[in-house]
Amino acid sequence: MTTKTSLLKVILLGDGGVGKSSLMNRYVTNKFDAHLFHTIGVEFLNKDLEVDGHQVTLQIWDTAGQERFRSLRTPFYRGSDCCLLTFSVDDNQSFLNLGNWKKEFIYYADVKEPEKFPFVVLGNKLDVAERQVSTEEARQWCQENGDYNYYETSAKDATNVAVAFEEAVRRVLSMEERTDHLIPTDTVKLHRKPRSAGTCCS
Amino acid sequence: MVTSLSSMAAEPELKVIFEHDGVFLHPTSDDDEEDDEDEGVDRDLLVSGILRILQRDSEVVVEFRPQEDTVDPSNMLCAGKDSSSVVQWSQGSEEVAVSQLETQHSYETEWDMLNAVTFRKRQTVSTDGAPSMERNCCFFSINVCDLQSITVKDEGWTFLILTLKDSSSLPPLHFHQGGSRTFLETLQRFTLLTQSEGDESCLVVSAPNKALSQSFENLLDDHNYGLVHKLRRDPYVTTFGGFSKVTNYIMGTLRGSEETQRPPLQDENRAELLCDVIPGLEINRQEEPGFEVITRVDLGERPQVTRSDPLTSEEWSQQQDAEGRMMDSTRLRHAIFRGGLSHAVRKEAWKFLLGFFQWDSTLEDRKLLQRDKTDEYFRMKLQWKSVSEEQERRNSRLRDFKSLIEKDVNRTDRTNHFYEGVDNPGLVLLHDILMTYVMYDFDLGYVQGMSDLLSPILLVMENEADAFWCFVCFMDHMHQNFEEKMQGMKTQLKQLSMLLRLLDLKFLNYLESQDSGVLYFCFRWLLLRFKRELCFQDVLRLWEVMWTGLPCENFHLLLCCAVLDSEKQTIMEKQYGFNEILKHINELSMKLDVEEILQKAESICLQIQSCKDRPSPVSVILGLDSADADWSNVSSSHRPTTSTNGHLNDSSSGQSPQRS
Ligand SMILES: Nc1nc2c(ncn2[C@@H]2O[C@H](COP(=O)(O)OP(=O)(O)OP(=O)(O)O)[C@@H](O)[C@H]2O)c(=O)[nH]1
Ligand SMILES: [Mg+2]
Repeated sequence: MTTKTSLLKVILLGDGGVGKSSLMNRYVTNKFDAHLFHTIGVEFLNKDLEVDGHQVTLQIWDTAGQERFRSLRTPFYRGSDCCLLTFSVDDNQSFLNLGNWKKEFIYYADVKEPEKFPFVVLGNKLDVAERQVSTEEARQWCQENGDYNYYETSAKDATNVAVAFEEAVRRVLSMEERTDHLIPTDTVKLHRKPRSAGTCCS
Repeated sequence: MVTSLSSMAAEPELKVIFEHDGVFLHPTSDDDEEDDEDEGVDRDLLVSGILRILQRDSEVVVEFRPQEDTVDPSNMLCAGKDSSSVVQWSQGSEEVAVSQLETQHSYETEWDMLNAVTFRKRQTVSTDGAPSMERNCCFFSINVCDLQSITVKDEGWTFLILTLKDSSSLPPLHFHQGGSRTFLETLQRFTLLTQSEGDESCLVVSAPNKALSQSFENLLDDHNYGLVHKLRRDPYVTTFGGFSKVTNYIMGTLRGSEETQRPPLQDENRAELLCDVIPGLEINRQEEPGFEVITRVDLGERPQVTRSDPLTSEEWSQQQDAEGRMMDSTRLRHAIFRGGLSHAVRKEAWKFLLGFFQWDSTLEDRKLLQRDKTDEYFRMKLQWKSVSEEQERRNSRLRDFKSLIEKDVNRTDRTNHFYEGVDNPGLVLLHDILMTYVMYDFDLGYVQGMSDLLSPILLVMENEADAFWCFVCFMDHMHQNFEEKMQGMKTQLKQLSMLLRLLDLKFLNYLESQDSGVLYFCFRWLLLRFKRELCFQDVLRLWEVMWTGLPCENFHLLLCCAVLDSEKQTIMEKQYGFNEILKHINELSMKLDVEEILQKAESICLQIQSCKDRPSPVSVILGLDSADADWSNVSSSHRPTTSTNGHLNDSSSGQSPQRS
């Protein structure tokens, strides 16, 4: 069983500029580039890891945060195993928008049982001195919204980044007893189910 | 001619484009011999009915109605506003199911280029009238957008099997009384039918779906889009004019139910159909100009082209007369297309290319213009500069734009000397110009991506007001891409897929098989005009070439085709799936060679241009049918000021940077 590698798809959602791309890059390449471009379109990176004896390939999807690009990012929500709702602790608005991101995700990912879906909440830019969102506020929101795990991270100095992604993996694994759940490489079936025998009269 | 179009548009009624009765629907599938024992369903049952092609607004629908059908009007479902095709399918108690494919609304509604097929099973059958109807009431109405392919078969007569995008097939339609050819021909007016690679009898439908046909409607203003135009003007006459046979059928009496099982008729069209449709799908322009079928159109050789050195300052100034007019703008633009500009010339030449300066303006004119425009710029700048904190607190839109701009300016070209480090004046200018643009066009405001478009212009202009106005000119052409619905992006992606269909159907089919036919992976290329894909110097080169408006319209789409042409082999050989294609394309960033792309794109342009059989939508996209658009005949080209998306033209219409 341990020889199998599961492919898990996680998606980072949150307002523009909260640090989604920075978190992904920190986790996958262990680098922080303050001069990174803002994201246009959709990108993803893979990372192999082992969590509690399970080999996992984590496919991390990063999208553009601006409202206007919604139609571009939402098609990629499908097939996500976990959603990382991200805000920046120095930006209250990004915290207030978490609910909208959650809604958007549930709607477009076509989540069957939203109450059970593993969301993880990240409050990024922990290193910044002027906070606008307190830990308590954030915890409370997570509590009220479905008892989500909450991590305060810093992509800049790497605080809690790996921990948060690993927790996301654990949540998925435990949720669905996925140990023998092998996701084929084409996790993202955007549209159309596979060919069905098809004619109305066969 | 445009007027007649708009008057047509005023009446959104249903138009019958094609109508043919005596078409028989064969509800049991033919090829399944095992199904012989199939309980209750009579294998040989044929439902006689009328096949129609209907048009409402921009939608085209193929509809089959049983002849004896007493379907009440409430059941008369046509493709609705959202292009949902409807299949009503009842087989009495048998209820043989139409494959129930859930549509994934999230995707389709947002990105409305993939149109969903909605199957609805009719719950009740209440057609007790004609005995033959008791067991069978088959009705379908399919938006052509939802058609995947049409299989043409022959069993002494022709029958067609329509396959939908979700791979389900409708029961075969048997043309016992001819008409299949006319049907296909009529359909070709709205779609491209292309012979499938593997199966000669299968015609792949590439429906310009709703949005696409809309995009062509937009193009109609500027082009003689003969096909649609003609149809719009008078679909009836256009369609039936050459086909009196069809009209006879329509006039003919309704067929009785005994005919539902009539033996196969010898169809006089059959021979023609077989030789025309199957082996070569001849294009028959003489008889009925305006429609065409492409089957692996032979594009011919791709001509080699060479590029030359950038235009120098001397060459540029030699083109000015004593008063500073640019004497031969056509020649200049050709030279710029061929080799680009040396950096020293850019500051001036870009103003012409972008349309801020008129080619025939004098130095004096330009000085005056610049003075006025500088004034105007600073007045607008003052507007946001003088917004107090109190005001800002009450203006959430302005506040949001501002915060977005601040975030993005910090993440735009920061490794470029002009923008690197903290407190670089370049950053302040980038910020201020974008803020001023928000005041200039508050409806659009600021959308991510705009900072990328401004950055090279600012770097070249080294002047705030000039950079602003040049940016305004560029944005005039990019505007639609950034608007709420991103219509410009959708249009471009669809146009790109039309081009790919002509250039390499096999590749497009592959992409489609990997759910990548929407070409979303070209999004960033198109939105930012390769800004993120090339190094800075190469972006400057690519853009100035693109701005010449040569060698055809929408040349940037051919740039995409050129890159894809280089990558398609890898993608197909390694059998990349949805994710890998996206990743592969994203990772091309900064690995592309600008001269190679430009060269290849021009070759492709020449290749398409010399192809007589190119489908008219392609000609429309590239603007190839206008008399002066012959790139091989360089000397004669004085190009019109029509621009669809993204390239700029000779501004002979004399408008300065106001949006036209
Ligand atoms: N101090 C600090 N800055 C950070 C941190 N993470 C990201 N940033 C900075 O915040 C800005 C935004 O980061 P990105 O990673 O580009 O944000 P994003 O969420 O991907 O934004 P979009 O791509 O626009 O949706 C950048 O300037 C980063 O350098 C962090 O942990 N601490
Ligand atoms: Mg990002």
